This record gives sequence, structure tokens and C-alpha cells, in this order.
Amino acid sequence: MTTQTTSLADYRRKASINRFGLWLFIISDFLVFAGLLVARFYLMGAQTRPEVNQLVGLAVTIILLISSFFMNRAEVAATYNDRKAFLNNTLITIILGVIFLIGVVGVEWQIAPFKASDGVAGSLFYTMTGFHAFHVLTGVIFLIILHRNGRKGLYTAGRHFPVEAGAVYWHFVDVVWILFYPALYLIGEAVL
Amino acid sequence: MKHLIAAGILVVLVTVGLIFGMGQIRLLPVAASAQAQPIDYMFNLEFIVIVFLFSLIVVMMVYSIVVFRRKRGDTTDAKHVEGNTRLEVVWTAIPLMTVLAFAYLGSWSLGETTRADPKPLEVNVIAAQWVWRFEYPTLGIVSNELRLPVDKQVLLHLWSTDVIHSFWVPEFRVKQDALPDGGELTRDLRITPNRIGEYKVRCAELCGLKHSFMESPVIVMAQADFDAWVAEQTGESADPVERGQKWYTTYGCNACHSLDGTPGVGPSWKGIYGEQVKFTDGTSSVVDDNYLYESIRNPALKIVQGYQNLMPANVAVDLTDDKINDIIRFIESLK
Amino acid sequence: MTETTHDTIKTPGVFSISFVRGTLFMIPALLIGMGIVSGVRLLMGLPAWNPNAAWTLGALFGTIAFMYGAGTLNDWLKLANGEDIPEHPQAARYKGIARYFSISFDHKVIGVQYAFTSLVLFLIAGLFALIFRTELAFPGLQFLKENATIVGMNGLNFYNTIMSLHGIVMIGATLLGVGAMSNYLVPLMIGANDMAFPRLNAFAFWLNVPAAIWLVSTLFLGGFDTGWTGYPPLSQLAPLGMQLFFLGVYFIGLSSILGSLNIIVTIVKLRASGMNYFRMPIFVWTAFATAIIGVSATQLIGLAFQLVMFERLFGMGFFTPSEGGNPILFQHLFWFYSHPAVYVFILTGLGVISELLPVFSRKPLFGYRWVALSSFAIAIVGFLVWAHHMFTSGMEAYLRVPFMYSTLLVAVPTGVKFFSWVATIWEGKLSFETPMLFVLGAISIFLLGGLSGPPNGVVSTDLHVQDTYWIVGHFHATLFGGFVFPFFAAIYYWFPKFTGRMYNERLGKMHFYLMLPAFYLQSLGQMQVGLLGMRRRIADYDPALGIDTTQLLITIAGYLIGISVLIALYNFVLSARRGEVAVANPWRSRSPEWQIASPAPEHNYDEPFEVVGEPYDYGLEGSVYINMHPGRPAPGVAPLSAEPAAAD
Ligand code: HEA
Ligand code: HEA
Ligand code: HEC
Ligand code: CUA
Ligand SMILES: [Cu+2]
Repeated sequence: MTTQTTSLADYRRKASINRFGLWLFIISDFLVFAGLLVARFYLMGAQTRPEVNQLVGLAVTIILLISSFFMNRAEVAATYNDRKAFLNNTLITIILGVIFLIGVVGVEWQIAPFKASDGVAGSLFYTMTGFHAFHVLTGVIFLIILHRNGRKGLYTAGRHFPVEAGAVYWHFVDVVWILFYPALYLIGEAVL
Repeated sequence: MKHLIAAGILVVLVTVGLIFGMGQIRLLPVAASAQAQPIDYMFNLEFIVIVFLFSLIVVMMVYSIVVFRRKRGDTTDAKHVEGNTRLEVVWTAIPLMTVLAFAYLGSWSLGETTRADPKPLEVNVIAAQWVWRFEYPTLGIVSNELRLPVDKQVLLHLWSTDVIHSFWVPEFRVKQDALPDGGELTRDLRITPNRIGEYKVRCAELCGLKHSFMESPVIVMAQADFDAWVAEQTGESADPVERGQKWYTTYGCNACHSLDGTPGVGPSWKGIYGEQVKFTDGTSSVVDDNYLYESIRNPALKIVQGYQNLMPANVAVDLTDDKINDIIRFIESLK
Repeated sequence: MTETTHDTIKTPGVFSISFVRGTLFMIPALLIGMGIVSGVRLLMGLPAWNPNAAWTLGALFGTIAFMYGAGTLNDWLKLANGEDIPEHPQAARYKGIARYFSISFDHKVIGVQYAFTSLVLFLIAGLFALIFRTELAFPGLQFLKENATIVGMNGLNFYNTIMSLHGIVMIGATLLGVGAMSNYLVPLMIGANDMAFPRLNAFAFWLNVPAAIWLVSTLFLGGFDTGWTGYPPLSQLAPLGMQLFFLGVYFIGLSSILGSLNIIVTIVKLRASGMNYFRMPIFVWTAFATAIIGVSATQLIGLAFQLVMFERLFGMGFFTPSEGGNPILFQHLFWFYSHPAVYVFILTGLGVISELLPVFSRKPLFGYRWVALSSFAIAIVGFLVWAHHMFTSGMEAYLRVPFMYSTLLVAVPTGVKFFSWVATIWEGKLSFETPMLFVLGAISIFLLGGLSGPPNGVVSTDLHVQDTYWIVGHFHATLFGGFVFPFFAAIYYWFPKFTGRMYNERLGKMHFYLMLPAFYLQSLGQMQVGLLGMRRRIADYDPALGIDTTQLLITIAGYLIGISVLIALYNFVLSARRGEVAVANPWRSRSPEWQIASPAPEHNYDEPFEVVGEPYDYGLEGSVYINMHPGRPAPGVAPLSAEPAAAD
């Protein structure tokens, strides 16, 4: 929680508390995805996987990875007080995130040869991508807020914990996808 | 030290007293299977350890309560004792060894209960909301009572047609859930009944509305009586109505459909044949062979007015068309 | 951190009370949510009314609207909007009882709010128990007959619903009670002025209110008949109530995750100077271990319940064999949370026991480090034992033996606690005020419950007792010994701290001497009928089992417990108003919270204190735990009588 009226030392102390809370939250949230991965391998084993479109999968994966790069650029820019670079990089991250969402929900979901009610393959595919997409969406909203507040000049080299939080969250969502992508697209033979 | 000795003697006395007292009350139903023996052995061992540990701690506590009271007006503190590492190690190590011993004995007794005899009698146990069906594939019998010859191991293959149920005869001790749809989820249970008598299988997993009443007779009989029963069962009636009546109970229709006109979860079958029936969507139809066949094969298609779509969709998977026909003849006979 | 002095104490209008405002916001949002679902379905050419989907979105919207109306989101929205918010949030301060129905960011007020909500839920769930216990008093169906209709359900369905609700509402009450103790005590004990995240704290508390509303609403939405465990496929087929049950539990779980996170950060980051981990009051250790379980395992029950909700909403098939699913997976996910959760229920209770024994025995806690670390051992081993609930479920057979070993191992660290407790009171100078009575009662009951655990953990005997009243007896004993009794002990003990007045000792003792024997009767009775063949979750039992007398006794015992609880409530209400004014440190405790005024001032400690000694050095001449005024020259070797306000 930012307050411009407190001293820098106070801000650092508060930020370190917030940082700890953030990481706990991320560990906790990660367990949901771990549970989904367990469910996926429990139900389908390592021999089978849902019938998915490899091209779309690869494309969205690359986009998300690239977005993480720009997220990192944005955070670095914030530490150097470079507001313009911060805003630009954040904006690019947002756009890439939105493209990712369109790729998954708008394309992959529509062309998938099965519905959510078609057996475990469908159930797992829609649930796993859906949970992840929901996290990307919240990440995008968070970044939009950061962008808005960044334009107002709320973040400075010494005081930009929210930017750090947004970045950590974004990378976390990215890491989750790095685990989900092979689980859904690469391991095992496709079944309907 | 003198306190420790006094309390120690009390612990022993109370333990002995409680063990004696527990011998006086009923704790377990009669044991009627070979599997019950290792299990009851474990129970007895556990009860003794429980009683000892309970006495140990409670007696020491009550002793302190009685002896180490604070005098009225005494505001000083007690002797400063912070702890004692050696004691802590002791009361970590001894329980550790005790539980390891229990785990070891537990595995041994589990092994005893699952030991396989070479040629068991095989029975398929099919659970459905809220009835049990027992199929003897080698004998060609389907029944609602589990009849077993004494002193011969029976190998049960359990599954369910709807939700999870659990097979439990308290006198046999062992228990196993029946999982939906069978196939890979079919589960086995071995029982060697060793005491002639009548018991009940009691469904031990909450399975909806009438879980409380999901009980069926289990009859352990001498081999000769069992053979006679088999002979009686295998002669199938030539009368479709009689056969239909039998399917009515063996396939569990009786859980929801009465024969005397009282509505249950589903409509009674009395006098419906040939009458008009109204559906929840406003349409209606006459109850004839086609309609009945369809409402058994595909219950969700038309829902009788005043009822909910509660009839299990796969209730008839095990019914051949011939058997359904028998049931329809039976319903017709109830005019 | 400037003192804000201009906040005045106001008398609120009805609509500014958070509870009322939240509820007012909730209702239209519920309807809007339902409307959206129906609208979308119409557009898709489906029949408009799908109760499951409509209620799900409606309840989701309703919950968010409640949280907004209650005022828990205001500051975060401001923050998102780039506005400045103070580090220490200020809420309007109201007079009297209204304060507890309105949003507050003070951990002490939130603690009391938790406790109050917990007691309300406890009463509701207890009432359910008394209803179904009356049905079970005799064999045969008494009044929950199949042809009876109660709130739109037939008798059997009603039995299943209130039995399940009894279980889950009691568990909710327990989680809230644990939250109450952790929230109220942890910051006070470690010398912090509030939790690390006061806004999150308020948010986590208020989330429980809509959650409780959804849980109780199931009663009017067709009920549900799965028990608190909600196993599919039964829960897939269950009436609409099921969906609201899942949502309610989901929100309670979310609250528990956020609350736990807050506790962990508070303990790690906000301890007073000099308070290293092994100098924390022992209760803080247990709250810490509890929070670690809460923040991690809870996610899995949330996931499991969401997956069943998806099955119900979208026809997905995770647990449906005909779709390739597997019902056993649900049980793994569910118990991966729900076993560790049982240690969430009890660890703080055991912390209260360890905390009070030294005070009432005037002797140090025996083996502080062992007791502290045993909580962690229990928590960690507790993560590795979940499948002991599934020995008969038909899970992978090779898992049974390893899980038997891990399960039995939990007995070891739990035993360390018991032996240390006995050693603490041994040769002490005991006095028997009500809190101490409850602590001693708790030890004996938890012992009974704990010792009835290993027979369940040994696979071969579990084959007999699984899903019987033996298990019911086991967990009532652990829950009463590990939570109910310690919770009452805590309320009596800290009563002067939050009201400034003493409870009535006579009534307190009556409560205890009625509850303890009644409880033994109830629990031992349940264990006996269970061994003899009484299954769980049945509305009627076979008279041939020969258990009628014991069943009647259990019911009577249930009523006696109910009466004793009513005595306690009467005591609390009466004493809060007219009790004797308490002295500052009525128990002559060394713990920091007793070194300040009662009721505790709004900002706990006006000056951070410093820890200079061990917490439980009763009887050690000249020892000091904390220096309340580190600014001033140290008092040198303070004589014991310098402990503030030692009262007889
Ligand atoms: C409140 C919390 C609580 C606590 C603390 C415990 C503690 C334990 N529980 Fe319990 N349990 C429940 C709540 C709790 N349980 C609930 C709610 C259920 C039912 C869920 C449902 O299905 O609805 C359940 C069910 C349950 C089962 C599943 C039964 C079944 O359905 O078939 C099992 C099986 O192993 C089990 C085991 C144990 C064990 C081994 C402990 C151990 O932690 C106990 C350890 C303590 C001691 C052993 C006593 C003290 C130790 C000593 C004095 C040292 C020496 C001891 C020895 C050498 C033995 N419990
Ligand atoms: C903290 C937890 C807790 C507590 C305190 C209790 C308390 C009680 N429980 Fe509990 N019980 C559970 C947790 C708990 N239970 C759980 C988790 C289950 C499993 C559910 C499942 O299988 O899914 C269960 C199941 C359960 C069963 C098994 C039901 C079945 O399987 O069919 C039984 C049966 O005897 C029972 C009895 C009782 C009784 C008599 C009390 C008594 O102690 C209650 C005492 C009464 C009161 C405290 C009420 C006082 C109030 C009044 C007198 C009226 C005033 C009311 C208002 C103002 C609203 N409980
Ligand atoms: C779990 C409860 C349940 C079981 C078991 C059950 N039914 Fe039903 N049955 C119902 C319900 C509820 C209805 C009314 C709703 C409907 O029409 O689907 C019904 C309707 C019917 C009807 C239409 C009756 C009419 O009045 O039009 C027939 C025929 C029928 N069932 C046959 C069977 C047969 C044959 C079996 C056993 C193999 C069986 N049922 C088992 C619940 C059940
Ligand atoms: Cu079948 Cu319970
Ligand atoms: Cu458990």
C-alpha cells in the first residue's frame, strides 16, 4: 500500500512486508495449478492428451514468453525512473496478454474438436486453460491499473512496489503456462 | 519420588480396572468370518494400549489436581523446572517404537484379511440406489439375498450402477466401497464366513435418500443347505409374470415403485397398464408395451407428472430385452 | 504513524452498519446475476431458467456486492484509482455493540467479530444436531418420516440436509473460532499494533458472512444429501442446495487462506525487538503452524469443489467414470486439504492449553522447545496422511500400508505435548478457576479423541470402523478436546481483556461441570454403538443391533451440552454488562497482553516493548520476560513483585 507521505525507510519496511505477503500468495495460488496438473495426469496418464491445435498452442506460448520479456523491461524502467519506457513496455505487455487471451479463448476454444462436456479430455482442457486465462485476465487488469497510475507519475525509482508486484505476478502466470503447455500440448498421444 | 511411586501404582490399578470393566460391556458384534480374527486381535491389542495410555495421563493429571493444589493466599510460584531433554527423548522414542510396532502388526493383519484361497466362490455384488443385487456367475443365480456356504471363501466383485455405496457386514468386519460403473473400478473383497447364521449387509457410504434402509439379508448356511438353495434357484419359472416379479426385486425396481398403489420415489405400478399417464411437459400417453419399454430404457425422456427425474438412467443396462418384456408382463398383471 | 485523534465516537444510522448495508447490496446483485444467466441462456436459445447456473452467478455477484456494501473494498478501489490511503486504515468508530457489526480494521475488534460469528454458527449447528439427535433417540422414524414435508423436503432428505449442515456449519464455526483466537491474540502477544494487512484482515472476516448465508440458504433450496464431504457422483446428482454448499465452503476457504497469509506475515515481520522465535508465547507457534496449513492445503479443497461445480454446470466429467473420470481423484483432492484441516481445528486450541497451564500452575511450560516444534511436526506429518480416510474407498491398494505408517507417526509429536503438559502441572501450585478447568477437561477429552485415532489408522481395524459412529465419536472427542473446550477456556481467560470485566465464576463452573460428563457420555456412547454396527449418516437404525439405550443416552447428553452452552452464553452477556471490573492482570501472567490496560487500548502498545527473557520463567527469582519501557533505563534486576498489578 503506497503512501507518498511516509519516509523512504518506512516505505521500504512496508514494501518488504508486502513482498513477503505477495510471495505467500503466489505459493498458495500455485497449489491450485499443481492440483490441476495432478488431476490431468491422474485422469489421462502420460500416454494421452487432449486433441489440440499445435499451431495455436505454439503461437500463444511464444507470445506469452515474449510478454514476460517486456514486463521485465517495464520493471527495470521503473527502477531507473524512466517513465516513458515503463509506460511503453507495460502497454506492450498488456497487448501481448490480450492477444494471448484471444488466442486461447477466442481461437483455440472455438476450433477445438470437443466440448467441455466431452469426457475428461474436454473437461481438463477447458478447465486448465480457463483457470490460466482467468489469471492472465486479472494480470492484464492489474497492468492496466499500473499503466494508469504510472501515467499519473505515482511510481518512482525508490517507490514502485506495485510495479514489482505486477511483474512477479505476470512472471508467475507465465511459469504456470510453461508447465501447462507441455502437459496439454506435448506429452502423450492425442485422444478426443 | 514418593509422588511418582504413588501415582504409578494408581496408574496400574486404574488400567487393570478399566480393562476388566471393558470386558463386561459389549464392544464388538459376534465374529462370523475368518477375516474377523486378525482384526479382533488388533482391536484387543489397541484397546489395551488405549486404556493404558489414557490411565497414565489422566491419573497423573488427577493426582496433580488433588495433591498439588495451591494453598489459599499462597502467591509464590512453584519450583522452577524448565524441562528435561532426556525425558523428552524417552517419551518421543517409546511412542515411536510403539506406533511402528502397531504399523507392522497392522500390515500383517491386513495381509491376513486379504489372503486368497485357491478356489473361492465368486459373486458379483451390484449396488444401486438403494438395493443390493448378488449375481453368482458360475451358478447362474441372481438374488437379493447373499447366501453363502460356511467355511468357504467367497470372492466378491463389487461395483455400483449410480453413486458410491459400501459393502459392510459388521459380523464379518471387513468393508469395501462399490464404485460406479464397474469396469476398471470394480473392487474385490474376500470373506470366509465361519459361523452359520443370518446377518445383514449394511450400506456404509451415504448414497442419498434411503441410504438408511439399504440393507439386505446375508445368510450363511451349511454347504448342503446352500446346494439345495442353488438347485431351487436355478430352475427358472416358465411364466413371464413370475419371472418379471423376480426381476422387479433383483434389479431393485422395488426401491422406488410399489405394487399396492402407494407412491414412492417413482409412481406405483399398480393398475397403470392401459391407463393414460400425464407428463410434466403437459403431454400424455397411454401406458402400453412401447411406452413402458421406452421409460425403462430411457427414463429421462418423459417424466411422469408429480415426480422428478430421479430414475437412474442406466438402471436397465443389465436388463436384456427379454427381461424387460417379463417386467412389462408383470406390470400388466397388476391391473 | 501519526496519532489520528480526530476520530470521534458516533452513533450510527441503521444503514451505515456494514452488515445491513452489505445485505442490502447483496439482494439486487443476486437478482442481477440470475438475470444475466437467464438472459444469456435465452439468447443461446436455451430454456431461460437453469437454477444451478442462475444461483451460482447470482451468489457470486451477491458476495461481491456484499463485500462492497460492507465497505471492505473501498480503500483498494481508491488505491487502484491512484489515490492515497493511510497506512493505518481508519473506520468510523461506533458506540457500543454497533461497532461489532460494522467494518473495523482493528485486529481486536475483528477477533471479537470472528468469535461472535463463530458462536452464532455454533448455536445454529448445535440446534441442527439436537433436531436429528431427537430423531435418533429411538429406533424407527419419529418425526422425519418419508411422507412428512419440512421446508419442502421429505423427512429423510431433511435428515440428510441438517446432518450435513450440522457438520459443515460446525466446521465453519471452528475455523472462525480459530480465526478469532489468532486474530485477537497474535498481534498482542508479539507486540504489534495490528496485523500486517489490516484491510485484508477485515476483508477475510467479512467474506464469512455471505458464506454463512449461502450455507444456511441450502436448507431452503432443496437441501443436499452428501454429508460435509460432498463426494461425487452423489453431489453431482444432488439438488440445488449442493451448489450453494460448495460456494459457501469456497468462500470460507478463501477467507481462511487470506487470514492465514496475514498471520504468517504478521508473525514473521512484526515481532517485537528481542523476540526471537523461541521466545514467542507458545500460542503464537501454534497459530503459525495453523496458518501454514491454511495458506497451502485449503487451495485443494477449493479446487475439488470447483471441479464438481463445473461438472454440475457444464457437464464436465472429472469424477464420472462413464466420461473417463474417476471419483477417487476427488477424494484425494478433498482429503489433501481436509486432513491437514483437522489440525487447523485443534492446533490453536492446544496452544491455548500450553499457554494457560503455566499460568495456573505457576511453573514454566515443560520443554518449551519440544512443545513448540511438535506443532510443526504435527503440521508437516499431517500433510502426508490424507489417504487414511480412504482405506476402504477402493483407492490404489498399494497406498494403504504407507499411509498407515505415516498416520501412526502423528501420534508421536502429539504425545510429546501430552507428556509435557503433565510434567508442567506435576509439582506445580495449581488453582482451579474456570479457564483452568476447561484446560484440564480439554486435555482429557483430546486424549480420548487422539487415542481413538490409531485404531482408524491401522488399516485392518479401520475396515470395521470406517463410516461408523466410532469415527463420529473419534472426531467429536478431538474437536471438543482440541477446539470447543480450549475455545471456552480462552473466552473465559481473556474475557477481562476484551470486556474489562470478570465473568461469573459460579456460572462458569456450572458450565464446566455439566459439559464435561455430558460430553463423555455422548462420545463414549457414539464409540460404542459404532463398534456394534451403527453406520454414520443414517436417519434410522436396526433395533436388532441392540443399541437403543445408548442412543437415547447420547441424545440426552446432547441436550445437556446444549443447556451448558446456554448457561455460558448467559454468563457472557450478563458479565459483559454487569460483571465485576477486572484488575489489569487478574491471572498474574507474564504475557505481554496482560501488561497493558483492559480492555486493550486501540493501538495496543503506545511504545514498542523489548523482550529480555524467557516467556514462562515462573518461579525463577528476578526473571523478566519483557521490558515495557525500553526507552527508560532498564529497571535492573527487577524483583518479581515488580510485575505489574499482581492480584490475588
Ligand atoms: C479435530 C481434529 C482431529 C484430530 C486431531 C484427529 C486426529 C487423528 N485422527 Fe482423525 N478425524 C477427524 C478429526 C481429527 N482427527 C475427523 C473430523 C474425521 C472424520 C472425517 C469424516 O469422514 O467426516 C477423522 C477421521 C479419521 C480417520 C478416518 C477414519 C475413517 O473414516 O475410516 C482416521 C484414520 O486413520 C483418523 C486418524 C487420526 C489419527 C491417527 C489422529 C492423531 O492425530 C491422533 C494423535 C494423538 C494421540 C495418539 C493421543 C496422544 C498420544 C500419546 C499419548 C502418545 C502415545 C500414543 C501411542 C503410542 C498410540 N481420523
Ligand atoms: C466442532 C464441531 C462439532 C460439534 C461441537 C458437534 C456437536 C455435536 N454433534 Fe456433531 N458432527 C460434526 C461436528 C461437530 N459436532 C461433524 C463434522 C459431523 C459430520 C457430519 C457428516 O457426517 O457429514 C458431525 C456429525 C454428528 C453426528 C452423526 C450424524 C450422522 O452421521 O448421521 C451426531 C450424532 O450423534 C452428532 C451429534 C452432535 C451433538 C449431539 C453435538 C452437541 O454437542 C451439540 C450441542 C448443542 C448445542 C451447542 C446447541 C445449543 C443451542 C440451543 C440449545 C438452542 C439455541 C439455538 C439458537 C439460539 C439458534 N454430530
Ligand atoms: C431411484 C429410483 C428408481 C428406481 C431404482 C427405479 N425407478 Fe422407475 N421411476 C422412478 C421415477 C422417479 C419415475 C417417474 C419419473 C419418470 O418418469 O422418469 C419412474 C418411472 C418409471 C416408469 C414409468 C411409470 C409410469 O407410471 O409411467 C417405469 C415403467 C419404470 N419407472 C420402470 C422401472 C424399472 C423396470 C426399474 C428397475 C429395473 C425402475 N423403474 C427402477 C424412479 C426409479
Ligand atoms: Cu448405498 Cu448407502
Ligand atoms: Cu485425517
